[in-house]
Amino acid sequence: MEQKIPLHRSAAFVGIGHSDWRQDWNLVRQGQVPFDSYGYATVAFQRALQDANISAQDIDGLLSGQSTSYERMGEVLGLNVRWGGLGNAAMAISQAVMAIETGMAEVVALVYGNNQRSANVQYGGAKAMGGENVLSYVYHAPWGMTSQGSLYAMLQRRYAQERDYTESDLGQVAVAQRAWASKNPHAIQQQPITIDDYLSSDYVCEPLHLFDYCMINDGGVAMILAESNRARQICDKPVYIETIARYDYNQNGTSLRPQLETFYTHAQSKVADCIFNATGWGPEDIDLVQIYDSFSVHIPLALEGYGYCKPGEFPKLCKEQGIGPGGKRPVNTSGGHLSESYMQGWNHQLEIVRQLRGTCGNRQVENCNRAHYSSDIFGKAFSIIYGR
Amino acid sequence: MQDKTPLSPPPVLGHYDRPMWESIRARAMRLQQCKHCNTFRYPPGPTCGYCLSLDFEWQPISGKASIWSWIVFHRQYLEAYTTPYNVISIQLEEGPLMVSNLEGSEPKGSWIGQAVEICYVTLKDGTILPRFRLIQ
Repeated sequence: MEQKIPLHRSAAFVGIGHSDWRQDWNLVRQGQVPFDSYGYATVAFQRALQDANISAQDIDGLLSGQSTSYERMGEVLGLNVRWGGLGNAAMAISQAVMAIETGMAEVVALVYGNNQRSANVQYGGAKAMGGENVLSYVYHAPWGMTSQGSLYAMLQRRYAQERDYTESDLGQVAVAQRAWASKNPHAIQQQPITIDDYLSSDYVCEPLHLFDYCMINDGGVAMILAESNRARQICDKPVYIETIARYDYNQNGTSLRPQLETFYTHAQSKVADCIFNATGWGPEDIDLVQIYDSFSVHIPLALEGYGYCKPGEFPKLCKEQGIGPGGKRPVNTSGGHLSESYMQGWNHQLEIVRQLRGTCGNRQVENCNRAHYSSDIFGKAFSIIYGR
Repeated sequence: MQDKTPLSPPPVLGHYDRPMWESIRARAMRLQQCKHCNTFRYPPGPTCGYCLSLDFEWQPISGKASIWSWIVFHRQYLEAYTTPYNVISIQLEEGPLMVSNLEGSEPKGSWIGQAVEICYVTLKDGTILPRFRLIQ
């Protein structure tokens, strides 16, 4: 079946904001609770409005992250809108674009707040977060397997053997992202690490080391997405959404077959065809790759799945091109979930906007015109291509 | 003295899971087999994900399997499971992948591809769990 080419520059980001993640982190570690999820979202929303230089009255659509209720978010922000909903980062953005394309909204606020650290949200154990929707998070509990990290540990073990990757090969991700984070004033973890630090760090769920895991921290993110003509009225440098595509593996998901058999890379190749056909670009035309990184193994998987390197050649890409500062293939330049902030894919979009605006200071990617966001969570391979 | 044996993490017990756990308690694990396309199903469910047939039969499994992947927990998330302990992904001879534990001796080097067979282990709190042992 021939696929219709999805949207092309119909919507653009005009404003971004986030809470003070470092301050949130420090206060929570001292036992304080700065805000609840809605409070973090409100701080971010105010800053996004300020960044776009518009008022709350200009907003006619609202998308809330999955850690909050849409209705309560609208109430807290005082937003009466003509369209809205709930979704994770990539789903929220695609829904907002669809609303704009169909004329159901023109200026959409996308807001996310999460008090996961101060509220002690559990990502492992019998009451693991998300189990009501994703059966694999809880189904294997009788055998002692519940944490999301363990699912990726299981994947990484088989993947590393199939590709003949060593721990040092895969540890390059955590080292490179920390190097980026050391240049990011917003990043929570800024202390550089070496490959030896990585290798000598504790295993949490072997073969995953501590540094393979994202942090768990409180915070908020907000973004304003506007119909393109309106976006050009609002600001000089809108960041356009060029195209979005997705392919989901649901069959046999609970038994973990999709992630253990193809590591999601087949789903990613289908999405790759779609996004690169739609834009007429290829991996060589992309200046920045931002990858959802709850665990570091997402990075080699996506780089292989989307053709940034051949399967088995991730170590070669790291060595010959480089994914860290100074490298020719910059990936997760804010430090990502491993080192900047675990805002569940939302902070990756902020970094894309900042890089395409050219405001990233000493971590700015030169001539950054096109960016690719990839996530592969819950069996969904998702991509968004951004352009200036 | 009070019994402080921690309870084993309970299984998800949906409508179609119950007969499977009854067969495990009888130490003769059964899975649903589609009567239309013969595909075995795990976890249990209302329909065959390959042909959508609603007709199935509970069939005993051979218990033969091979290891697909393995992990070792070093951080404790569950009271009943003290670290370190292993979790394995195995492919049953009938086709489905399943998560379990490797009981007894462990392979030297990679565990992937090792042949295993089912054994029924009674945990401290009396729960009977299907686990797998290396075929010597």
